[in-house]
Amino acid sequence: MSKKGKQKPLYEQVKDILNTLQGKNVPSYQGLHAFWLDPDTFQTAYLYGQRLIAPKEDTTTTQTTSCCGSKNTAPPQPTTPSNCCGEDTDANTIQAVPIAPEGIAASPRLSQSDPKDCWPSGGSGGSSTPIETSKRSDRSAIIRGLKGLPPFDGSIFPKLLWDAAYEATPDQIAIIASWIDADCPVEEDKSKDKEKQQIQIKAVQLSNLKASLARGESLHTVSTEKTNFNTQRCKDLHVRKEVSSLTKEELDTLREAINCMYQYNNFLQDERSYDHWARIHTDSCQHGWEQFLPWHRLYLYFFEQTLQDYDPSITLPYWSWTDYSDVNRTSFNNLQPDLGVLPEAYGCYLTQKGLDTLKDDPNANLNTKEIAALEKIVKKGTIYNSGIRFLKAAGIPYEIINLNGVATWSNKIRAIYRVLRKTNPLWFPNRWPGAMMSPTQYPTPGDIDNLLALDNWSDFGGGPTYDHHFGALEKVHNGMHNFSGGTNPFFPNPNATFASAKEWVAVYEKLGLNPPNPQSIENPPFGWMTDNRITAFDPIFWAHHSNVDRLWAKWQERHNGTPQQMNGALAPWSLTVQDTMSIQQLGYTYMRDTVFYDVHNDVGLQKFNSDKKTFSSNTLDLHRKAEIKIHRVRRGNLHNVYIRIFINTPEASVDTPTLNNPNFVEELSTFHGTCYGGPGHCDLPLSKTRANDLRPLHHHEPRNYKIDATAAVARVLNAGAKDITIQLVVIGIDGQAVDNALYIDGVSLTFFD
Amino acid sequence: MSTHNTTFKIHPSIGIARLGNAQDNFYLAPEQPGARPIECDEMGRETFDKDGNPVRVANFKDENDLSKIRKQAARFKIFAYKDENDTEGTEVLKGHTYNFVNISSITAPTTVQGTVTDINWTVHLANKKASWYAFKQTQGLHGYAPDHPLRNPEVTQPDLRRQLIIDPGPLTVNLKHHLGHFARFDSDLKQKDNSKFRKVSYPQTFPPKDIKPNPIDTLGSVMVNEQDNHIRLIVLGGEGNSGSTKQPVITNFVNNDGWFDDISDGPVTASIEYEYEETIFDGDKPIVKKQKGTMDVQVPAWVVVGYPRYAPEMEDMITMDENMFDLFVREMAYRPTIYGVAPFDKKSNSPSNPEELRLWKNQAHFNPDYFPKFYRDIWPIFRRPNDYRFSYDFDNFSGSDPHNRGTGGNLNAAVLGQVPINGKDPCKRYREFVYSIMRQTHQRNVFEVQNNTNKSFNKPRLMPMLCGNNPLDNTVPDKFLSMTPTQLFFLKQWVDGKFVNECDEWGEENPNCNNPWASPPTTGVGIDRGVLGNVLGGPFCPGGELSWIVNNPAIYSEPYRINHANYIPGQLSLPIVVDPNNSPNLAQGLEPGDLTKYIGIPWQADFHECTVQDINITYDDWVNIHLDSVGDPAQEKIAYNVPWWPAHRPIVVFESPQGPQVYWASGIPGNNAGDLQMVQAWKDLGFLTTQGSGNDRVFYQVERNNEALGEPEQPGDRIKGHTFNEEN
Repeated sequence: MSKKGKQKPLYEQVKDILNTLQGKNVPSYQGLHAFWLDPDTFQTAYLYGQRLIAPKEDTTTTQTTSCCGSKNTAPPQPTTPSNCCGEDTDANTIQAVPIAPEGIAASPRLSQSDPKDCWPSGGSGGSSTPIETSKRSDRSAIIRGLKGLPPFDGSIFPKLLWDAAYEATPDQIAIIASWIDADCPVEEDKSKDKEKQQIQIKAVQLSNLKASLARGESLHTVSTEKTNFNTQRCKDLHVRKEVSSLTKEELDTLREAINCMYQYNNFLQDERSYDHWARIHTDSCQHGWEQFLPWHRLYLYFFEQTLQDYDPSITLPYWSWTDYSDVNRTSFNNLQPDLGVLPEAYGCYLTQKGLDTLKDDPNANLNTKEIAALEKIVKKGTIYNSGIRFLKAAGIPYEIINLNGVATWSNKIRAIYRVLRKTNPLWFPNRWPGAMMSPTQYPTPGDIDNLLALDNWSDFGGGPTYDHHFGALEKVHNGMHNFSGGTNPFFPNPNATFASAKEWVAVYEKLGLNPPNPQSIENPPFGWMTDNRITAFDPIFWAHHSNVDRLWAKWQERHNGTPQQMNGALAPWSLTVQDTMSIQQLGYTYMRDTVFYDVHNDVGLQKFNSDKKTFSSNTLDLHRKAEIKIHRVRRGNLHNVYIRIFINTPEASVDTPTLNNPNFVEELSTFHGTCYGGPGHCDLPLSKTRANDLRPLHHHEPRNYKIDATAAVARVLNAGAKDITIQLVVIGIDGQAVDNALYIDGVSLTFFD
Repeated sequence: MSTHNTTFKIHPSIGIARLGNAQDNFYLAPEQPGARPIECDEMGRETFDKDGNPVRVANFKDENDLSKIRKQAARFKIFAYKDENDTEGTEVLKGHTYNFVNISSITAPTTVQGTVTDINWTVHLANKKASWYAFKQTQGLHGYAPDHPLRNPEVTQPDLRRQLIIDPGPLTVNLKHHLGHFARFDSDLKQKDNSKFRKVSYPQTFPPKDIKPNPIDTLGSVMVNEQDNHIRLIVLGGEGNSGSTKQPVITNFVNNDGWFDDISDGPVTASIEYEYEETIFDGDKPIVKKQKGTMDVQVPAWVVVGYPRYAPEMEDMITMDENMFDLFVREMAYRPTIYGVAPFDKKSNSPSNPEELRLWKNQAHFNPDYFPKFYRDIWPIFRRPNDYRFSYDFDNFSGSDPHNRGTGGNLNAAVLGQVPINGKDPCKRYREFVYSIMRQTHQRNVFEVQNNTNKSFNKPRLMPMLCGNNPLDNTVPDKFLSMTPTQLFFLKQWVDGKFVNECDEWGEENPNCNNPWASPPTTGVGIDRGVLGNVLGGPFCPGGELSWIVNNPAIYSEPYRINHANYIPGQLSLPIVVDPNNSPNLAQGLEPGDLTKYIGIPWQADFHECTVQDINITYDDWVNIHLDSVGDPAQEKIAYNVPWWPAHRPIVVFESPQGPQVYWASGIPGNNAGDLQMVQAWKDLGFLTTQGSGNDRVFYQVERNNEALGEPEQPGDRIKGHTFNEEN
């Protein structure tokens, strides 16, 4: 070996070794030939199903390589990329839609291929693979093959390399392994020292910033993390937000998760499959009596837990119906269906990527006019409340064909819907929102207030088995199912009040599809949300029911009523009605919107001064309550302080008056005292939570303060403020400024409905 | 030196000898499927050419007499295995030292280092056909009903019935006593016998001397030879004599009362003689003494005598090796990488007692990640059918060649062997087509491809289009042959692109890549499997050399090894209805004659008749329907001329590499009279030899004795007043 400085880069050594071992004859290696010469091939290729270099172990992201089961057991066959791990997998997602109403299990599927495994897992668990070592090289076929480990032990394949001039020595294998374990650098990394320097510089900068923040000289900025990331860090409840308050990242994660769930739909019993959950409603839902609210609370809870397996920051957003009452009451028109407005997150829209896919898809068969229209739609970024409104905007006629006597989307419609569904998995093709009955069916904020004012469970939530009846909330909920599902304008009906249904009688006649099948999967008379057997196949179901659940929780805050049969079991789960009585106990709460400010807890806080946060006008107008929360206040051996809370007073200080100051919110005082005990007695508790720990709260668990800021917020908004800032001023109990008494993790401002 | 006791095993585990009527003129059994037999000297010593390769036989009959068929000898070797990790072993050498277990009357068993001096080989052949139950298709694999008919049912007294067994007694031979004959004590042959215990008497049973047409005086012979310091056993079978105690007529293809033939089978055991030095002490003074010892070979073998293989280089559609391999894979955890429980390694798939085996069987399944090898596992299935055009004119009406292996043919290795390349799979649809017409195990009563959207009148026929285990009656119909479940699994992996083309990957210059048996096997297991590659592996109605009893895992002590029973010489077992005190116990093992007793008697009848079968395919569930009895207007559908096993019993053959095609058995009518004629005429029939190689290889007939059988007839000839319709 030459001296270190002159040593060849690792990858060059790897190539040299493999070239030498192989010698003159290079067998086909399934068409890869000398695969080690191209780093990309080497790192991604499969040799007879064996990944030559294992992918990086990754426990958090959803990138796994396996397509037919758990990680590493059944790698995808490079032979069939088109229906295993390629683009077409996503094609299945559209197929998740049509579930035959008469036989829920008879879900038609285009392809029998397995999905790629997009779901995160803790690894194989040892049942189906040999003991897994953590080293990437140990999982790589090239290393296993050179060592002659299974399946390269002759049981299925001979040792690698094949037809080789020489066998690899342990030293040579070690060099290749070290290259793989260094994540296959193609060039030597010389920037490490630089990195170190930069880290040091950053550390100095950070400590300066921390001091300045603690003195209130710099502004605490709005946290860009997902809400539930912050709540989990602060050991708070998960938050279900109003859907329009989701950040782009939050919405993207939810969509990714739902998309992933669609990919398991071929596996009826797999609880990662979306349809599995939708079928639970089909099979077990409770309606029209007092278990309606408890049952659906658990249904959402368990579905949400599954989503949180995918990403712990996911919660089910809620669809605040009344935010849309004005627009939907105005747009009411009983001569035309499909005019309703839903939260934008559930609408359909096209991205450039989706358009490119469509352009390349012979099934979509777009003409230049259509392409131009779609390009315009992409550019404008318009979101449509239904698929046919999208098609209309693009000038593409909605087409149904006769496929063996079944009304079916034409290939073109199917191709477009597929792309739309892939773009937004929350959108659902068979959804035509809009009211065809009286506009007063749509609830107003006043209606909801009346509902919440009901002072007994029976009226609000329904009756027990022996005196069953619908509760008032459920009745409103029923109407919203029908509104969101709506009426299909293109289902033939000679007696319809609207023209398109009459026209489609002739269309069906031409197609030989008369009489139309009311159980049609792809062209049914009404949206799937309207049918309680299949409603949960439409993802807006969850936002709708999240809102129902929220209204119940809100009612619970005000009233004491409960169902009569508190021991009733809620199948298919082994929990009872009693178990559903507290959403906090189930680990979540509802907020219209919330903002969080990270505070460094290693520097004593003298003044907290937040950056501006602009809330939506909806939030500012419609909230019921505004709350400032100080998160995780440390209490061991710290002086007591007063904390004065102001809003929109950046210059606040010890001297800022509190009396008659409209921007003053509250002054609170801490009560800590000194702590004595054995070594470590006064330390913080461990951050991990212990299951089944029935002891009282740890004496040094940092505590939280909740401050009702509703009045103060109202005052500053009335005075014309457009956004809110928060200031905390810390004062010792001697009235002097104090710099080492308050240590907290964060401050938040939340608006509740 | 290793302290492990050496394990000795006899190979092949099941040797195959074949009948012949040429005196002292024999060759050695081939040890690879589709290989020609091996030439040897009069002691059975293999002859080599100047390159060290075995010389293959040039003629199958006596050079001067076309009515004398040479016997095929089964040759046995003993391999020594150092320890349990030694899976290949090496053949035992005379003068070489091994670790023997020395059992003396004084001490506990000790390990001694002994030098091999000689080997005592013991073989016991018997023929139990006439004493056994009558054959009835699909019956008997797991026992017979009490009222199941016996052959020769009038003989029910046990001692009398035991006279129906041909049991010449065991023979032991070694280098000093090198020759033994399974012959009557009073015969001329027995005079030549110099076997070790020739003077020890034995209650021999032989058929009456006056059976007609051919009396049976011997079941064959054994001899020991020494070649390159290896001490080997040669077993020769009978003379092909069959005869009846009555007026000889044949009334049935498998059961003929009064008849005997000289087919046989039985155990092959050995004990090794060795010398070792023992140190004893006289006070403090060590004295080294030379001692002698013997040790039984721990893993013995079996020998089966079959009738001649007339087309030795043409492989059966399913070989016995493939049939047994499937059984051992699925029932005995023989290849856990193919079939087992995840992760499909040896460790997780080593059931060590019946309870564990039951558990294993409940959980085991085919390994979805197994990659079969194209030329070893897939190609033989597709290579064979095209050879059968030289033994059967299977498409004489359409004239096309559905099995064409050449360019553009359905079965072109270049296309079917093309693995997916770097994610692209250009040949998948060709594989899918071929796979779609392969008969699955659940389609054994189905004739044509189902669910075929092809509107044409004729749907593709499921393959193989060969007879199954029971195309004869309505009791458990099993009309057509399907490849073994293991082979069908290989095909499933193959169609999914999960296979390796070993010629692409490890060595086009290595002849083993497209013929895994190209070089003669050197390992014991290789010989075991190679020998069985030339035995018919199905269907079993009742079968060729062996019957369906081979599909009962109970008869094996380990994969490819027949379990040896303890039995009383001269008191071989009889059907339980005849002798409840001495009836077979499969759990305890097999006795001489227990393997071949299941097949037809005399063998010539079934052999002659198994050409083609017309199979009723009107309904899947029934073979025979009787529409006339009720005036049922349904139309019967018959699949005509479905062959049994074209490689095993040729039907229409080439007279020369260029043709013309002739009936192989012409001169022998296709009826019971012909069966009787076959009792004599088997020795006059031609053998199929080959010319060319690869796709151009042709098979044609040689050494036919036209003096006895007349000139061969061509299809279409009707001059003899009988038709080609040879079906039974």
